[in-house]
Amino acid sequence: MNHLVDFSSTHAKTPFAGSRLEATFRDPAGQLRLTEDCALRQIHPAAWEETQAFLASPLRATLEQSGELIASKIASPDDHACIAAGELWLEHPRVDPISYPWEWTTAQWRAAAELTLRVASQAIAAGWTLKDATPLNILFAGPRPVLVDVLSFERRDPRATAWLAYGQFVRTFLLPLVAAKYLSWPLQATLFTRDGYEPGDIYKTLPRRQRINPALFDVVTLATLFERRGQKAAEAKKMPSASDPDLATHILQKRIARLGKQIRHAAGSPNRSQWSDYTQLAHHYQPADIEQKQRFVRETLKHCRPSDVLDIGANTGSYSRIAVETGAKVVALDSDAAVLEALWEAAARESLAVTALVANIARPTPAAGWRNREHLSLLDRLTGKFDLVLMLAVIHHLILREQLPLKHIAELSASLTRRWLLVEWVPPSDPMYREWLRGRDEIYGHLTEDDLKRAFSPSFAVADRLELSNGRVLLLLERAAEQADTTIDADEPHCEAQPHDEASAA
Amino acid sequence: MKLLRIIPLVLILLGAVMLSERPAYGYTDPGTGLLAIQAAGSALIATGWYLRRKLHALFHRKEQTAHNAAEQSGILNTEDPPRV
Repeated sequence: MNHLVDFSSTHAKTPFAGSRLEATFRDPAGQLRLTEDCALRQIHPAAWEETQAFLASPLRATLEQSGELIASKIASPDDHACIAAGELWLEHPRVDPISYPWEWTTAQWRAAAELTLRVASQAIAAGWTLKDATPLNILFAGPRPVLVDVLSFERRDPRATAWLAYGQFVRTFLLPLVAAKYLSWPLQATLFTRDGYEPGDIYKTLPRRQRINPALFDVVTLATLFERRGQKAAEAKKMPSASDPDLATHILQKRIARLGKQIRHAAGSPNRSQWSDYTQLAHHYQPADIEQKQRFVRETLKHCRPSDVLDIGANTGSYSRIAVETGAKVVALDSDAAVLEALWEAAARESLAVTALVANIARPTPAAGWRNREHLSLLDRLTGKFDLVLMLAVIHHLILREQLPLKHIAELSASLTRRWLLVEWVPPSDPMYREWLRGRDEIYGHLTEDDLKRAFSPSFAVADRLELSNGRVLLLLERAAEQADTTIDADEPHCEAQPHDEASAA
Repeated sequence: MKLLRIIPLVLILLGAVMLSERPAYGYTDPGTGLLAIQAAGSALIATGWYLRRKLHALFHRKEQTAHNAAEQSGILNTEDPPRV
């Protein structure tokens, strides 16, 4: 677990240019720094031998080949000015954007936990072990989880019957899922806990009958009871071991299998929310309007040919999918975990280039960790990263529910997109707008499409427009600095095609 | 009766599993209660493992004994056939 982030030398476009973000320095084996193009991991001398042995092992080759482990190579001082002679650094491809566990859906938690257990099981079979097992070691490359901490691997004592990272796995993977299922503690609340929940935290809040639930009894009830006795004894912690290495391996594999069952139990059935069937039940949309809107979005994406698209308020991802079909990598954002779960599951099933983030653009995920410098805020990760931003049926949410002035929405949009912005204007006469207006006609009832255009005009110019028969309007806006023309020409697309970077997508 | 003879062995091995401890080296907190669960779980799994092995050996020994008896009585001839 090591998320040092350093943009000091390379990331001139970020808000961190010139400032060094603090290291966590928790893993004594090394530390990580991110550059624009790659992640660099410095290995401390005490861990050189172990790291090199792992890099040479068949286990590493197998895991990299399956895509479960991030690719690594020895970094050369010739390529990176920060590397001094005699130092050992590894170079990994960037996984961009970084998604943190507090922005994952339940299904993503489960996928990340299952990946960790799968890797742990393979490592045990090969004579290795994971010395830490936390969701922070996993990133999502599109919909696919990847273990990114190569320093997690160490050779295991063949007679040890305890998995050192078991406690951390339970605290950081299993108990948050248990708390979400039985106590309705949101997974987003893990932002505030570095090392997850203690069994005692869950035990005292869990209904009595759940304390004897076979799926929870050992990790919650028994662990709490043992914890109390252990505190009284105040002895040094000792690891149990067996005299027979085969038995030790058997015990470890059984433990991993048990955790897998517990994760599947805690991850439970898919969530639903008021927005789960939004696209199917949107009665303010006639099928012809939907078809017209989808056609316009598709044509726009085909003309603009963006490499990177941000879909704000993605819902179940109808438009993210269209963007992927036109060749873009998509970051899909929605504050509703239930709808985003459906999108992530579809993306995982069909291998779509979609990264799903549970987040509210009006209250974006803050920076977190030690001195607020261990984990980047959502906007730090998204600013200036996209060729095209979709804000379909979002602006009226921001106006009426978040009470944000149009000028501020325009400024945020301009910071997110490098060139294009596709917005849907929902007029005050629209049923959804009326529903949320709630008597505030004097403030919000008079807003028009012209108000929107005026608010966005310092940064954007209108490149294309389509009014749907239900009164909603789709506007393609282009950043003023990039503006070359004010209309879309079907034969000559405005945007330059940008080749996909395999390494940054990995 | 043979099962009864296995039980002390299982208990000894179980004790060996539980009592054999080494210092915990690692930078992550193994947790007091969660580490104790691992020790208790190890003992349970080890019991099952030894029982299964002993049961397997028991039946295998019966088969082996029958096999040896058959061999001695000449029912089975494991020697190479005489060369002509």
